[in-house]
Amino acid sequence: MRRLCSPAILVLLCFAQPAWTATTWQVDYAKSRLGFIATQTGSEFEGRFRKFDARVVFAPDALDASSFNVLVDVASVDTNSADRDSNLPTPEWFDVERFPTARFETLGFTPVGETRYEAKSRLTIRDVTREVRFPFTFTVEGETARLQAKLTLSRTDYGVGQGEWAAADTVGHEVIVVVDLLLKRAELP
Amino acid sequence: MQLRNTTERWGAGAKCLHWTLALAIFVMMALGWIMTAWPKSPAKFEMYFVHKSLGIVILALMVLRLCWRLLNPTPRLPKTLKPYERVLAHGTHALLYLLLLAMPVSGWVINSAANFPLKVFGLFNLPPLVGPDKAVQGQAEVVHLWLFWIVGGLLVLHIGAALKHHFVLRDEVLARMLPDQRSQRDIPEME
Repeated sequence: MRRLCSPAILVLLCFAQPAWTATTWQVDYAKSRLGFIATQTGSEFEGRFRKFDARVVFAPDALDASSFNVLVDVASVDTNSADRDSNLPTPEWFDVERFPTARFETLGFTPVGETRYEAKSRLTIRDVTREVRFPFTFTVEGETARLQAKLTLSRTDYGVGQGEWAAADTVGHEVIVVVDLLLKRAELP
Repeated sequence: MQLRNTTERWGAGAKCLHWTLALAIFVMMALGWIMTAWPKSPAKFEMYFVHKSLGIVILALMVLRLCWRLLNPTPRLPKTLKPYERVLAHGTHALLYLLLLAMPVSGWVINSAANFPLKVFGLFNLPPLVGPDKAVQGQAEVVHLWLFWIVGGLLVLHIGAALKHHFVLRDEVLARMLPDQRSQRDIPEME
C-alpha cells in the first residue's frame, strides 16, 4: 500500500503545486513606500516609515498559503519636518525606546474582486495589538507585482498620543496608512 | 466721519485699518512670546495655529492698507515739525510698513521650511513659500526674531512720538487718528 501511494503523492505534488504553495516576493524598498496621512490643526500632512521589513508570500490561487509579515522600525518615522519628527519618538507618541518595532501579520485572506483581497490581520503598535481588516490590491505583471492598500486607523486605539494629546482637537485621531510596495519574484534557491 | 482721507484728516478706512492692525500686532507679539516659551502641549499647537492665522490676516491687511494709502491723500504733518523730525516720522512709518510686511512673510517661510500645514483659521490652505529645509527654517527664525525686536523698537518710537504730539506739542497728530475725533483742538497751521 505504501509503495503504491508514494508515487501517486509525488505526481500530485508536481501538478498540484500552485494550489498550495504561494510565491515569495522580495520588496524593492527603493520603489516602495509605507506612508501615512494624518491631520494637525485641521490640515493634512504626510509621513512615512523609512525602514521596514516586509515578508510577502502571496499567490492569488493559493490564498491559504499566503501571508504578509511586516516589521516596522518605528524610529524611522519621517514626516519631512524636524519639529514633528523630534516629537513622534517620544513616550507620548510612539515611545520608540520601549516599543521600537510595530508589527503587522495576516491571519487569512478573502478574495473580494479581480485583484482585490481582504486580509484578516493583526497590527501591533506600541504595546497594543488589534485585529484589523486589511483591504488591498495585488496586481501581478510577469516577474513583478504591486501591493497597494489604504487602511484607516484611529491612533488612540494604539495609545499613540497620550495624555493631553489623546483629544482629537489638535492632532486628528484618524490616520490613513498608505501602502505601496513594488515586489519582485524571489529567486528560487 | 467720511471714509476717505483728506489732507487734514484720516478717514474711517485708514483709522479702522490702523487700529485693527495695532490690536492684532500687540496680540501677535504677546502670543509669539508666550507660545515659544510654552511647554509642548496641544495648547502650544493651538497658539501657533492662531499666531500663524493671525499673521496671514495681518499680511493681507497690510497690503490693503498700503493700497488704501496710495489711493488716498495723506494728512500732512504739522508745519511746526523740524526737518529732522519730519525725516524721522516718514522714516519710522516707511520702515514700519516694510517690516510689518516682512514679519508675516518670514513667519510664513518658517512654517513652510518646517513643512507644517497652514490652514488660516481652519478656512483655507496656503501653499508653502519654500520646500522643507531645516537650515532655511533656522535662518528664517533668526530673521523673525530680529524683526520682532526692530518692530518693537519702532513701535516705542511711534507711540512715544504720538504721545509727545498729544501731551507736549499739543497738536492734532494723535487726536486725528483716534476713532472718535471728539477733541476739537485748534489745529496748528498745517503746511
